[in-house]
Amino acid sequence: MMTPAIILLIIFVIIPILYGFYLSFHRWDGFNSPVFIGTRNYIRLIERDDVFLKAVTNTIIFAISVVLVKNVLGLFLALLVNQKIKGVIFFRTALFLPVTLSFVVIGLLWSWIYNPTFGLLNAGLELLGLDSLIRAWLSDQATALGAIITVDIWKWTGFHMVLFLAGLQSIPKDLYEVAIIDGAGAWTRLTRITLPLLAPVTFISVLLSLNGAFVRNFELVFVMTDGGPNHTTEVVLTHLVTQAFRFGKLGYASAMGFALFVVVAVIAFTYIRIGRSGAYNF
Amino acid sequence: MATAARHTNPENFPDLLSQHLSDRLKLLLVYAILIIATVQTIYPLFWMVFGSLKTDADLFNNVWGPPRMMVWQNYVDAWRIADLGARIGNSIIITVLSLTVLLIVSSIAAYALARLQFPGRQAIFLIILATMMIPPEVTVIPLFIVVRTLGILNSRFGLVFVYAGTSMAFSIFLLRGFFMSIPPELEDAALVDGANRLQVFWYVVLPLARPGLATVAIFQGMFFWNEFFLAFIFIRQAELQTIPLGLVNFFYRYSADWTLYFAALSMVTIPVIVLYVAMQRWFIEGLTAGAVKS
Repeated sequence: MMTPAIILLIIFVIIPILYGFYLSFHRWDGFNSPVFIGTRNYIRLIERDDVFLKAVTNTIIFAISVVLVKNVLGLFLALLVNQKIKGVIFFRTALFLPVTLSFVVIGLLWSWIYNPTFGLLNAGLELLGLDSLIRAWLSDQATALGAIITVDIWKWTGFHMVLFLAGLQSIPKDLYEVAIIDGAGAWTRLTRITLPLLAPVTFISVLLSLNGAFVRNFELVFVMTDGGPNHTTEVVLTHLVTQAFRFGKLGYASAMGFALFVVVAVIAFTYIRIGRSGAYNF
Repeated sequence: MATAARHTNPENFPDLLSQHLSDRLKLLLVYAILIIATVQTIYPLFWMVFGSLKTDADLFNNVWGPPRMMVWQNYVDAWRIADLGARIGNSIIITVLSLTVLLIVSSIAAYALARLQFPGRQAIFLIILATMMIPPEVTVIPLFIVVRTLGILNSRFGLVFVYAGTSMAFSIFLLRGFFMSIPPELEDAALVDGANRLQVFWYVVLPLARPGLATVAIFQGMFFWNEFFLAFIFIRQAELQTIPLGLVNFFYRYSADWTLYFAALSMVTIPVIVLYVAMQRWFIEGLTAGAVKS
């Protein structure tokens, strides 16, 4: 009964991982036979590829910002929509909506929102009298990466809100009642009851955002800036695709892919390790 | 907990603040924040639909508002130029086939892992756990070579198997959890009555695991429907392109037909939004349960 699943896993998951490791030690154009060059690909990545180093920096900035902001904003909104107030279902539904849309749709839509001639953002700033802030958001080196990060956060915050909301609703109400009788204020209740009891959900929410943070950035960058201006929005995946499919450096791109694989795997497993041992400390 | 709360209370600034803020004011603040958050989430989508019905001049001069005159012709032109019919067809075929392959293969494997004893069971489960966290993006180059070697580059089938294969581990893991939560007594009864394992699986277990299958279907179906990166690598022929590829292609043409771009985007987005609003409970539960179960 396992056979079809195992065959698919071997062909599309296991072999690519091992084969990628093998290719990363070769120079290969994809057609002639691969030439073994030892660790030269890796050395070149670190010592001579400025764009790669830029891409790594940007990928890290992207990852840290989106993980932090998505979770903090998601928790904040979850606390707001966890109240018994009118229209709360509407707010939840609306805030979750971007999760269902594709990166391509969202990327295109936002690149028009940022557009300097008919974009919503500049028009909004003008309306608020903030003319000094008006700029070409995606072609300005100072703002391009931030503009893309904002879009990723825009797409996913509703998702984390719903995760946290499910966590909040599983906390027994009488805990709060007892705390109120004891004279605990809103802040104390948040830090002494809500956050500790939310720890398992927070763990999952952060894990999910972390898992995608290093790789689920290709679409937005590709659609919105294609890595520009001057590589200020280049991420590892866009650089990898350019090297592989524009310049035919498959071995070199494999080294990049394998490096990314190691980073993603190490972060995920370390995080799970820490999370598992830490879960009992609360 | 209680004494700790009393101790920290007096010097707690937000606490004092909340005492002074009347409940009405607090409610007003909550609504204000929620309304701002909602407007910045929804207004861009209205803006997209507005833009799709404007003339070029209207788009540039009247950035904020609804169109002064409805240009439905934008939709007709965008549909034709972007060849949306074919793209939607490809997306439907690829999503449905990928889900079919994934659900059949992963549910059988998950059931075996949940219920049967066989050599290597533990090892297989560990491999599934380990590969679950590895996104296919990081192995895209070797994956490309594998797909090319198999001769399924530039084919809908190729993409179907890439999708099913790379989401297999996660789906097995998820379904295994669902199967393990079904009481085994039901299956034992059917086995005693002379049914074989496959019959038990098909007639007893699968109907009970319907919520689990729905979760996988929504979670992965949505992923396949929206997926761009793998499709971009494995499909280069225009007539095989899915919706996301088609949109990017249309957008990167030389002329800047902005209103047509807005129309194309509206046409592929509105049905998704309608589906989501109609089935929001399923979507929200499916997407978050799919995530949390892991």
